[in-house]
This record gives sequence, C-alpha cells and structure tokens, in this order.
Amino acid sequence: MYFSRQILIGCWLLALSSWLFTSCRKDEVIYPTIPTNVTDEVQEGGLYVLCEGNMGSNKARLDYMNLETGTYYANWYGAQNPKQVKELGDVGNDIAVYGNRLYAVINCSHKVEVMDLQAHRIGQVDIANCRYLAFHGDKAYVSAYVGSLADPDLLGSVFEIDTATLQITREVKVGHQPDELCVVDDKLYVVNSGGYLTDRYDSTLSVIDLASFTEIEKIPVGLNPTRIRKDDHGHLWICCQGNYKDILPQVVVYDRTNVLKRIPTPCANISIYGETAYIIDNEAKTVKTISVENYVLSPFTFHLSPSYENPYGLLATKDALYVTDAKNYVSSGVLHCYSYDGHERWQAVTGDIPGHLCRVGEAMQTDTTDTINHYTSYIQHVYEYMPAMGQFVNILPKYEEGDDAEAMIQKCEKALANNAGGTVTLGGWGGYITFGFDHPVKNEEGRDIRILGNAFYMAGSTEYGSSEPGIVLVSVDENANGLPDDTWYELKGCLYDDPTTDHAFSRTYTRESDTIRNAFHDQPYYPQWLTADAYTLYGAKLAPQSVTISGQNVQRILEFGYVDNKPNTDLEGTSFDISWAVDANGNAVQLDSIHFVRVYNAADEILELTGELSTEITGAIDLHINN
Amino acid sequence: MKKRIFFILVFAQCAGSVFAQSEAEFDSIYNRFQIEEVEVTARALNKDIIVPQTLKGEELQRLNALSVADALRYFSGVQLKDYGGVGGIKTINVRSMGSQHTAVYYNGIQLGNAQNGQVDLGRFSLDNMEEIQLFNGQKSDIFQSAREFGAAGNVYLTTRKPYFLPNEKVHVHAQMRCGSFALANPNVGIDVKLTDGLSLTLDAEYVYSDGKYPFRYRRVLPNGEVAYDTTAVRQNGDVNAVRAEIGLHHYYRTTGFWRVHAYNYYSERGVPGAIVNNVWKNGERLWDRNSFVQAQWQDEWFNRWSTRLLVKYANDYTHYQNYDIKLLPSNNEYLQQEAYLSFANKVQIFNWWDMSVAYDYQYNTLKRDEWVSGLTDQRFDRHSHWLSAATAFNVKEYLRLQASVLMTSISNQQSAISVQPKFTPGIFASFRPYPKIDLSLNAFYKQSYRYPTFNDLYYTDLGNANLRPELARQHSVEVAYRFSNDKRQTTNDFGYELSFSASYYYNRVTDKIIAYPKGQQFRWTMLNLGTVKINGVDAKADMSFYLPLRFVLRSRLGYTYQKAIDVTNPNDTYYGHQIPYIPWHSGSVVAELDWTSKRGDHYGFSYSFIYVGERYSQQENIIYNYVQPWYTHDLSIYGEWNVHPCRLKANIEINNLLGQDYEVIQNYPMPKQNVRCTLAVKY
Repeated sequence: MYFSRQILIGCWLLALSSWLFTSCRKDEVIYPTIPTNVTDEVQEGGLYVLCEGNMGSNKARLDYMNLETGTYYANWYGAQNPKQVKELGDVGNDIAVYGNRLYAVINCSHKVEVMDLQAHRIGQVDIANCRYLAFHGDKAYVSAYVGSLADPDLLGSVFEIDTATLQITREVKVGHQPDELCVVDDKLYVVNSGGYLTDRYDSTLSVIDLASFTEIEKIPVGLNPTRIRKDDHGHLWICCQGNYKDILPQVVVYDRTNVLKRIPTPCANISIYGETAYIIDNEAKTVKTISVENYVLSPFTFHLSPSYENPYGLLATKDALYVTDAKNYVSSGVLHCYSYDGHERWQAVTGDIPGHLCRVGEAMQTDTTDTINHYTSYIQHVYEYMPAMGQFVNILPKYEEGDDAEAMIQKCEKALANNAGGTVTLGGWGGYITFGFDHPVKNEEGRDIRILGNAFYMAGSTEYGSSEPGIVLVSVDENANGLPDDTWYELKGCLYDDPTTDHAFSRTYTRESDTIRNAFHDQPYYPQWLTADAYTLYGAKLAPQSVTISGQNVQRILEFGYVDNKPNTDLEGTSFDISWAVDANGNAVQLDSIHFVRVYNAADEILELTGELSTEITGAIDLHINN
Repeated sequence: MKKRIFFILVFAQCAGSVFAQSEAEFDSIYNRFQIEEVEVTARALNKDIIVPQTLKGEELQRLNALSVADALRYFSGVQLKDYGGVGGIKTINVRSMGSQHTAVYYNGIQLGNAQNGQVDLGRFSLDNMEEIQLFNGQKSDIFQSAREFGAAGNVYLTTRKPYFLPNEKVHVHAQMRCGSFALANPNVGIDVKLTDGLSLTLDAEYVYSDGKYPFRYRRVLPNGEVAYDTTAVRQNGDVNAVRAEIGLHHYYRTTGFWRVHAYNYYSERGVPGAIVNNVWKNGERLWDRNSFVQAQWQDEWFNRWSTRLLVKYANDYTHYQNYDIKLLPSNNEYLQQEAYLSFANKVQIFNWWDMSVAYDYQYNTLKRDEWVSGLTDQRFDRHSHWLSAATAFNVKEYLRLQASVLMTSISNQQSAISVQPKFTPGIFASFRPYPKIDLSLNAFYKQSYRYPTFNDLYYTDLGNANLRPELARQHSVEVAYRFSNDKRQTTNDFGYELSFSASYYYNRVTDKIIAYPKGQQFRWTMLNLGTVKINGVDAKADMSFYLPLRFVLRSRLGYTYQKAIDVTNPNDTYYGHQIPYIPWHSGSVVAELDWTSKRGDHYGFSYSFIYVGERYSQQENIIYNYVQPWYTHDLSIYGEWNVHPCRLKANIEINNLLGQDYEVIQNYPMPKQNVRCTLAVKY
C-alpha cells in the first residue's frame, strides 16, 4: 500500500539514523603511559618533568625521562598509580626530590603529593593553594597563597611539614601570595609576589627563623618577586617580574644583608649550577649565563631556536641544561636538552605547560634501566605459609577440601601478590608466612620495605588500638637456590631488648587440642591441609599489651618494628629498615639487600570477645623499586 | 472549516503581514489550529529563501526540555556547551564558528552581552516560548533591523502571543513542574483582551533546584580491571530564579502594530566548578539581574512602504563572589547598560522587487568593580552604528535572490586605535525548478564580524585594546524538499507531511580572537591569532504521519557532520586538528506518538535521543585530550484533557533514561537519570 510504504521509509530512516551513530561509548580507560625513545645518548639517572596543565583541566602530568635509556615516559605517574582517583590533579606547580622521596605541589588540587623516587604515591598533605617547596632537616616547607584561616589582607603562609609523618607541624603568615622559598643557615627566605593584586604587587622577601618559625624581617627587594634560589656562596638570587608595564623585570642578588647587584633582564626562570646562574630571557628567547662570583653577564648565551614560543622551565645540572617550551599553554610542550657548549642534544614532547624539572641521580642510578620497566614493588611470591591454630585459620585464605600446603601457598600468593589487597591470617602465636619480590630489596638509607596489616587506632588515640604485632625476619639467598632456606635475621623492633620479651619460646599445636571455639568462628582451627597431627613453632614471644579502656579491649601500640601494629595510613609505622637486622645473638648485621621476608605472630593473647591476637598481612611493598 | 482558516489567515495578515515574523506567526497559529481540529490541509509552498529550523507550539512544549538551550540541541549544526544541571551555563555554537558568532533575539530584538558576548540560553524558559527558530546566515525577510544582518547564525525566540476567539476575553495558564534534584518550577501566564486590537500578556515563573545530583567517575585499566569507581554528589549547584514579563500588543487599522515588552529576571546560583583531584566542591556564587524594556512599532503605507521602529533599554547586573578560601577571593560587580534604536524601511518597487534600508544605533556601557583587587569603578563604553541596505527580487516563480550589505562602525571609547567601518556583504539565492513541487535549491555566501567584547578588550591584565574583529565567511548550499498528502477526507484516512533538507557548508573564520600567553610567565593576552576552516553537512527530516483512529506519529531526525580544523600555523602541533569540543558526528532523533480521543483529549508518548560523537577537549587531537561520545535517551508521556472550561495537561519526563555518566565539558559531570513532572491548566 502506498501509505504504508511511506511509513516504512520513515521507520527505515529512524533505524538508519540510530545505526549511523555506531561509535558508542566504551569504558573510560585510564590515560596510558606512552614511552618514546628520544635519544641514543646516555646520561646518568633520570629526570622528572611536572607539566602544569591548565586550571580546571585536571591535567597535571608527571613525565619521566630515563636518561640512561633515552626513553621519555609520558604520564609516568599514571602508570605508577593507575588507581588514583582523578589522577595526579589540577595544575602542577613544583617538584623536588628530598631524601628518597619525590614531592610534587599540585596547586589547584590543594595538596602536596608525596611519592617514592619511582613516583609511587605514598600519601599527600592537604594545603590550600600551595605553591612551592623547600626542605631542611626532616622538614619540608611549603608556601601557600592562603593560610589555614582566610586573611582579610590576603596574606599567605608557609607551612612546615614533618617528612616522616606527613603532618603539618607549624604555620607562619608571610606576605602577599608567597611564591618560591629557600633555606640558608637555619633561615627560610620566601618571596612575596602579590600576584593576586594587579597594580599593587608585593615586593618583599620574608625572612623566617626556623627555630621559632616566626617572620623576623620583611625586606623590600623589588616589585613582584616570584623566584628565589641560593648559590654556593650563600647568596640569594631573586627574580622580580616588575609590573609588566613600566617597571621592568630584574634579577636581584642579595647576600642576606645587602643587595649586591640588580641585573635588569627579563627572568622568567632561573637555575644555578656551580658557579653559573642560568636565566631565561623570555623576551629575547635566550638563556643568559651569569657568573655567581662577580654577577657578570657572560657573553655566552643559549640562543633558543625560533620554534620556541614560550621558554618556561629550566634546570641546570652537571652535564646538561634542560629548557622547556610551554608553547601556547594549551597544547603539548617540548623539553630540550643542551650540552653546555650550546649544542642541542635531544628534545621530547611533554604534557601541557612543562614547568618544573628535577633530576634523580644516584638513587636510581645503578639498575634503574633494568628495574624501571620490569620489576614491581609488590610481593610476587609466597614461599611458605604456616599459621598457628586460630579463629581465622582455614578462612583467610579459605581451605577447600583437597587443598594441600602448596595450594594454600598459592591462595596466599593470590591474596597478596601485586597489591591484590587480600588478607592472610597468621593465626595464634608463632604462625608465619614467607614471601619475596621479583628482585632483591636493597638496604638503602631510611626504610626499605612496607608491610601492610589491619591494625587501627582507638578513636581519638594513637597510643592504643588494635595491634597484633608480628616480627619480621629477612634473609639473603646465600646458596642462590631461590628458596628461603638460608639464615634468618630479625629486624629489631622496639621490644627486642625489653626484658619481658621471651626470645626462645616454642609451642606445639595438635589436632587434638582443636576443641575450643568462639561464638563467631566454628570451623576447625587446626590447619586442615596438614597431614601431621601436630607441629611446633619457634620464636620470640612478646608480653601481653592488652588493657581495657572505657570497656574496650585494646592494645598498647608499639613504637616501631612490628607488622600489623600501626594502621596502614601510617607510612613510617608500617615501614621497616633492613639496617635493623640482627643475628641470633643480637648482633647487628649489615645486609646490602635481602631476598626473603618472613613475618610471624609474636603476640600470645586470647581476648574474651575477639579471640586470639593474630597478625594479619595484607601486602608488602619495596619502597625503592621502579616499576 | 474553510471559514475558520480564513479567519485565522485574516488575523495573521492583520497582525503581521508586514511584520518580520509574519510567516512564522501564521504558521504557529495555523499549526495550533491543525492540532486542535485534527485537519490536514496543504501548506503553502515554502517561501523562505533561507529555510529556518523551527520548533514551535505543542511540539516545543512536549520536548524533554526545560530551557531554550535544551531545545536547541535538536537542531542540526548546533553544538551546545553545557556545564551541567539546571543552573549550569549553556551556550550554543552554530556551525563551529564560535558562540559569539550567534545572535539571539528575544521577540525580534537582540539580547546583548557586551561584556563577554555570550548569552546563557539555560536561563530562558520554554514555558512561555511559542517558537524557536534558527537561521543560518540571516533571516529570509529583508525587512529587518540593520544589526540582524551582522551575525553568522541567528536564533529567534518568540514568546507566546495572545489570540482570542470571538467572545473570549481572558486566557489563563498555570503550571507546576517538579522533578529530581529538588526542582520546583511554577509558572503563571495571563492574557487579557483589553479592546479588539489591544491585548496584555503577563507571565511569571520561579525556578528552584538544589542541583545536588549524583555523578560517577569510573575508570578501568587497559586489562579491564576497575582502576577506580567513585560516586559523589554535585555541590554548590543550586539555583533560585524568578522571571516576570509583561507585554502589551496593539494591532490597529489593518496594517499597524505596536508592542511593548518588559522583562525581568533575577537569579542566585552556585557555580559548581570543575571536579578535579582532591576538589569535590567549590564555593563561587553568582547573582544576576537582567532587565529590559523593548518596544516595537510598525506600519505600512500605500501597500508598498513598510516602516519599523525598535527601541530597547537593558540593564544587567552581575555579582560574583568566591567564598572558597582556597582560591583567589573575589567579590566583583558588573553593571551593563544598553540603549538601542533601530529604524528600518522596506519599499516594494515592483511585485517582484523589494528594497530595504535600516539604521541601528546602540550604546553599551559597563561598570566594573573588583572589590578585592581594589580596581573599582572601572567604566567602559562603546557606540555602535549599523547601516544596512538589502534587496530581494524574484524571477518569476523560479528564482529568488537576496543581497545585503552591512556597514558596521564600532568605537570603544577606551581604545586608542582608529575605527574603520567594516562592510560585510551577503548574497542568497533560492531556486525552485518546479512550480508545483516544493523542492528548492538554496545557496548563500555571507561575511560577518564578531567584535571583541569588553572582556576581550579590557579584562584586567588580559584584555588587549588593539584587537580587530574576527571575521567569518560562510558558504552554504542546501536542498530542501517537502511533500504532503492533502487528500485526507476523514480522520481515518492516512496522511503525511514530510520535509527533508540537506546542506553542505564551508566556513572560514580568520583573525580569531583567542587567549595567548604573553611574554611574561603566567600571563595571557587576547590576540587575533587563529584561523579555522569548517566543512560541514547538516541533514534533517521532519515527518508527520496521520494514522487511522486519530493517531499521529511525528518524528524529527537531525544529523550533523563537521570537520572544523585549525589552520593557523603549519608549525603548530595541532595544525589540521579538529578544534576543541566539536564532534565530527552528532545528531538527534525525536519520535512522538499522539492519540486524540473523540472529545479532543490527547494522550501521547515521546522519545528522544541525542548523540554527540567523539571529540577533543583541547586543540591537539591526542589521546590525553580525547573525550568519549555521549548519548542520552529521554522519554515522556503526556495527556491533555478538556475539562470545561479548562484544558488540563500532565507530562512526565524521564531524562537520561539509561543513566549515562557523561560530560559535555571535561570535569563538569552531567546529571544521571532524572525525572520531571508537569501539571498545567489552561483556561
């Protein structure tokens, strides 16, 4: 029929148009990490490039240049921390290495991201509108445009962070919109830019006494100072941007008493290495070099290629000068590497606004290139699993009819390897697990390995909580057979020398004794995969730590050195140093690296309500490793 | 029946035979008439030289749309920028030339925003809207104000006009709408016939929504494992707005017409901001008051000479405050004022030859107070003059031609640079090969300038007083075809009305005004830097099928292909790349099944689908800027009942039926599934 044909056409068109839109939405995959080989030249270590990304775009990006392989890794942080919600954040503003940690200031995410040297996230410190970083002793100092309380005069603050606990310890109010800062002789110098106050820029340098953490002086240096660096003579180099109109930019050299020199020059960025200060003249598109001894402009200038739109980031190191081009701010930038004769060695395409650079040298030097791609920081193998009888035995992990010891080990490995986040119980006193990584864990300065458990603090306290302490043993594969059959060394915890600790305890568990059950767990407590009817465990036993506080049965939290003692949010408290190792006689031993880790439950208490104290393991991380 | 059509025709003729929107007006009345009477008659051949896209009357009211912006999504060639929620800013970009190339007219007079050149279409309610039209290039009729020749794309919003059957004196319309996210939206409208020619309309509306909608970010690893999956509730997205309008219309003799319209809108809203790592809430607040009074008078003499006079005064106040102590504290106030005058004349020289001349003058002023930075009492003003000449002539039935030239002279008091008047031509042709078949081939070429706004010129630290206007050149060809079956005798017969059109266009935007980093760090400036080349295809189909048993199936399909590439500088990494937020493919489908009972009650069901294809959030088309396609399915059911002496309407809409988690603008999540219910009474 004529009409129905029209209708058919109509329906057909409807269907067609739906079909046209075949490009459907897929799962949103995290941003990939893209490696690009940019040079065959070999330098030492690596270089981190923090790309700011535009405000509101959430595109702060941390890239990594492996200088030893010449490979540039776009979005390196993403690869190390794929599960971080909404990635690194909005507007990366500063990056620095201190100790064996990497710190990145993410301005519009209002946080300082703390990572290990391979950029694995360790934690963050929330600071509103944070700008730049400096370090001294075990403290980090962060400038912020706003203080913890809004200031009617729009004064900013400097915050002090304890690098061990990642807690803010002190705050001092400084000038308007403080930017860069640096520490010389127990004093902190921070430049106040006044960046929010168009036509009323600040022009001062705040001097802060670190002991009292108070501002002792505010020294006028020049209009709109944004950068401050120190040289080896203890002089400060300050870049003042002027008012972008009639007051011109200048570099001010200040010996902390007098201004030694004012060098009129555009100075978008500055970097000092040895006896030379390098300054980006963003108008002439050059990098000027100035002697830090006599402040004389050297005739030698890096003439940047005409392809530069917006020279922006700068870093001078012993063997190379790095300069970035931020282009139009809303597209990929470029990182250029120069040798000091002005010759360009290589370049790499970065993220948006590559602004901040830092070199990681020694720490990643030796086997960076191998480990950086192949090794993972998480547990890879479980070798042994021998819990003592306990209420979660045969549950965590689950025993199933027919499982033998090897099957149970596989289940533990599945629960723990690669940060799977599962839980393994060690049962009562003496139960243990032995695990390792896909590489030896190096004994470096500071803590080396993190072992996670399920401890927590009692509300409002950090002294008491749920602590089920386990002792850590480490060993080196001396006979190189890949098995944990070598000498074990104990990592000495805080109760090692305590007289209440029994270092030569043992207990035999028998199938027969498996009779007492608590109300919550009525499965057999004896490991069901064992063919033997009894087994004996050996080790040290800690004195009971339980107390009753307002009706709650809680334990005293031990100071350091035990697994499942402090909550996983406490990075330091869940981390162990291989340097703590002692032999059977209690003598310290120096181990360069270890292959195997064993943890056993050292607590021997059965509580009325919650059953026996039993160490639980939920994972472990090599704090040094490159992924 | 014929008699009533005749009455309407006469009415429409009286009302606006010389009025710019006469045809639209006629259509809308006619359309309404059709719906009420369920009668299909042949339409007049399409006389438009530029065929607009139109949404009107019941079709417009039944769309799953709350604001004008929502409705414009159904037009081809239009991309909507939507920051999400009832209160989020919504602007449109026609044929990728940039939102500032699109002019929006409210009852025939342009809505201005000299400060940033953007009109937030999310603020214009559909409740008193009778018709929305989009003209690419310019309006068909050469009898228009000079300034109307100046924009590249034109959106005409026409509010409800009163019409009375004999013996009717008052119409009342009351409506309540509720929905997800605490939406409450009452609306009342009253039309009063004061004398035979003089009528008064009043319309008032209130909108509240707390804007607390859930959104979700879920990402997976390349192997499919979930990387993270987070749900949160949008904060600080509340809106509180009141709109009140009053209009007085007078038709006199058979040719004269005047109208005065006053509009007032006041709102307070939160600016929910971008969702980025560690930031799930922002604290910016915005208060707006938009008020204007506009008047229009027109008449015709000797059946040949038509005159129209438009005047307008607008007063817009914006107060922006940032309560978020983490950010730059801000407390800014802006007061804009606009005075506008237009005088247009059209002469019919012969039956086949018309000419028009129009002159417009506008004065804009902006007072800016930034209380925190201490930059207060900054004043900027601008005088604009437009002079247009246009002609239209017909070669028999076959060919219609139109040509216009516009002279624009804009002087900013605070700019030192001398002002050169700019001339922009436009030429339009429509060829109709067969007199009895509604097939037309249309083409146009047009130039238009987008002038720098006060923000472009004087924004603190960013503005550049030396900017030149940005130039858009449009070339477009179109095929349009309409046919219908007009042989229906009874409501049980089949009938249909179909119209199809497809256009290809090539646009080039040069001297594009963009923000570019200044020499110094962290600083931007506005520059005339950028060239964009746009190739596009719009295709659309409107189909209505009249089925037995008083069923009507209406559908509307739209498809847009756009390749809008940056051709500024071959050395740029994004040279030849698609410009941000322009999808290659986009389209929409609307289908509605309506049933009329014997006593004239309506029941219906409507489905709409909107698709926006993959695109990039920044200039470079790289994986880090990739934005996935999004598409939403919306459903609504409605009923209309005659309950003497009123007509009752109820409507339930479900939007984003499948609850897709999508973003139009990156980091601005859109609402998942949401519901709206509307109850209305008309007297």
